[in-house]
Amino acid sequence: MKLTTKILSLLLLAFGLSLNAHAFPDEDVSIVIPYSPGGGFDRAVRAFAPQFGEHLGGEVNVLPRNVPGAGGRRGTTMVYRADPDGYTIGIINLPGFALPRILGEPAEYDLREMTWIGRIEAQAYVLLVSGSSDITSVEDLRQLDEITFTSTGYGSTVLAATQIVASALGLQKKNPIYLAGYSGTSDSLVALVRGDGNAAMAPISSAAKYVESGDLRALAVTGDSSPLEGVPTFAEAGYSELTPLDLQRALAGPPDMDPEVVKVLREAFDKTVKDPKFLDAAQKARMDVVPLDGDATAKSFKESFEFYEKFKADLRNPNAL
Amino acid sequence: MFDSVFTAASYLADGMNLLFLLLGVVVGVVFGIIPGLGGATAIALLLPLTFGMQAEQATTLMGGVMGAVTIGGSITAILLNTPGTAPNAATCFDGYPLTRKGKAGVAIGAAVTASSVGGVIGALILIMLLPVAKSIILFFGPPAYFMLALLGLTALTAASSNLLRGLIGACLGLFIGFVGYDDLGGVTRYTGGIDYLWDGLSIVPVLIGLFAIAEMLKLYVDGGTIAKSGDMDSVGVSGTLEGIKSAFRHFKVILSGSAIGSVIGTVPGVGGTVASFLSYTFTLQTSKNKEEFGKGDVRGVIAPEASNNAKDGGALIPTLAFGIPGSAEMALFLGVLVLHGMDPGPMLLLEREFTIFVLILALLAATVASGIIVLLTARYLIKVTYIDTSILIPSVIVISLVGAYALHNSIGDVFAAAFFGVLGYLMHRFDYPRITLVIALVLGGLMERNYFQTSLMYRGDWSKAFGDTPFVILLGLVVVALLMPMISKALKRKTGQKA
Repeated sequence: MKLTTKILSLLLLAFGLSLNAHAFPDEDVSIVIPYSPGGGFDRAVRAFAPQFGEHLGGEVNVLPRNVPGAGGRRGTTMVYRADPDGYTIGIINLPGFALPRILGEPAEYDLREMTWIGRIEAQAYVLLVSGSSDITSVEDLRQLDEITFTSTGYGSTVLAATQIVASALGLQKKNPIYLAGYSGTSDSLVALVRGDGNAAMAPISSAAKYVESGDLRALAVTGDSSPLEGVPTFAEAGYSELTPLDLQRALAGPPDMDPEVVKVLREAFDKTVKDPKFLDAAQKARMDVVPLDGDATAKSFKESFEFYEKFKADLRNPNAL
Repeated sequence: MFDSVFTAASYLADGMNLLFLLLGVVVGVVFGIIPGLGGATAIALLLPLTFGMQAEQATTLMGGVMGAVTIGGSITAILLNTPGTAPNAATCFDGYPLTRKGKAGVAIGAAVTASSVGGVIGALILIMLLPVAKSIILFFGPPAYFMLALLGLTALTAASSNLLRGLIGACLGLFIGFVGYDDLGGVTRYTGGIDYLWDGLSIVPVLIGLFAIAEMLKLYVDGGTIAKSGDMDSVGVSGTLEGIKSAFRHFKVILSGSAIGSVIGTVPGVGGTVASFLSYTFTLQTSKNKEEFGKGDVRGVIAPEASNNAKDGGALIPTLAFGIPGSAEMALFLGVLVLHGMDPGPMLLLEREFTIFVLILALLAATVASGIIVLLTARYLIKVTYIDTSILIPSVIVISLVGAYALHNSIGDVFAAAFFGVLGYLMHRFDYPRITLVIALVLGGLMERNYFQTSLMYRGDWSKAFGDTPFVILLGLVVVALLMPMISKALKRKTGQKA
């Protein structure tokens, strides 16, 4: 009895397989998260995956898979080297994962070759000072003689953003100190509240609650319009070259994927980012969903890469021994 | 505030919520016992279960896990010289020698009591500190963290029976701590081009190797069973009762351990492992009759266990008030909070007072409940130490290696555990202390990073550090810690001459 059931199900399985031989997807798709569970990238994928699975036909699961290590390089390399069959894709930190190549560091992947499926999130950066300081504008900050930025370590997006802002505001000639090495953005913001330094850059979602509580004061935000009341954009403050500075979370697969498979993934992506169920989960996880389709993501990546290339000379490690 | 405590208590006492708490406790104890699996894995596993729950139910479940893991972990440390979770590492130093003397029951009784009482004290301290949580976090900056790490390192002098060998072990520990990418200097150090070493050696596989695998190698050479005296049937309840009593006899050790745990717990990124080591060495430094430490002194079990349960209370402060997770476990817990619409930040403590009190009480109840579970099962667990080595050694090695793998699903961790197993055995064989290696490994990174940050923020002018109050206080403690052995020696000589 049992044996017959087994044989029957095997036969059915074989039949099913032969029918679907060319239809993607017919097995589970995994999304590689190149960080440990708990962070913003992890949260984004976990909110996205269930609905993405539904829109891929509902027959297969989309599995979040944490592959932390080497500041995201391990997981990204894994995606880059994966079979381009669509069953392994990853979430990419833009411009974070492009930085090694811009900085001339070894990286075993090249984001320029990857297949973009779509962007989930985009966040503006905000320039901050302590809420108890006298500095109320970008110009006030520029008048300081000694500037110390609190930041995360070399190779992080926050440090790169800080260096770019310092360069655009003409602060480099004052030899600002980059007090790097805090283990995360929240740490570096608390350090700013404490007074370890006197300015910092941060993605807006990390900074908002400190600005609301009055512990920190926002001086300017990147992007075309300011989500914070009474805070100008950098363009309004006279530094329009800083407008494109942002932090993006996008899905991508390995290079040279089958166009048919890419089409299926992109279609499911576009449906998922409009799905109320996903938007609800995203709101709960405090995500900033600003979706872009695959082609637009590729274009946005290219612009972002060029933007950082432009500031390449400012991005050396300020604390190299 | 007391109103909130009572409403939270009556909430927890509700049948369904009690069930969630117990589920968390049971999962926590089991994941604690198995080396490599710990609170982080348990929370990750239970996370999807909380999707449909209310915020309070979710925090009850997770509070149950967090309160229970280190109690489970102490069992493995005591019986098999294998820390079930990293914060239990310091428990090995005296817990395991007690087991070898056939006094496993005493060690377990003492560990469980110290943990439960420590957990309760930690929760009470947390309740008292909540209103001033923000000032506490803002009180400690890089100069203070640097001094704190230095203070921990001074304990090395007390922890090594032979100072030179102790220091060699410590240097080895510092050296191992250097391996990996240094994001301040922007360089990779001693990685030899191996990808795995980029993030440095993670502490859990190192501990599994140094303690569990090294111990099995040693047992293999020695033969016999772990417990050298007593027989399987006579051990158990009587021993645990004695252990419970001895914990209360050394109540001062529980108090100091809990205080250290609560304070160190608030330091992000340091957490339970450092807390339990500091508590162990503090007790060692301040105790009379230190001869028995390292050979099976019950105070050496009480001190780290009290602190590693009290630390949960402290660790919640940066997590709740600033969204800074102090450990992988807290990072996941942060995820749980966000998932249930609780955005950690200065306002959370006021806005969600009720939920937070439910969490604190769940932690408190979990330490007591898991203590009772462990005590009830202790007599069966202890039998493990009477199992013949031909069965025990392969089983423990397999569990250890699987545990090392399960941590990050990384085969590199398995090799690291094996490497440190051999190193640990060699250190034992040639009489070098492992404890100083582990202390230096745990504290080295913290000290280095904060040293550079302090230099940077004062622009190289360290004299400015004397304007930082906690820096000065901790510096004073360092001086005392270094001078105390000399003074007590001089005093001894004086009284010796008189007599």
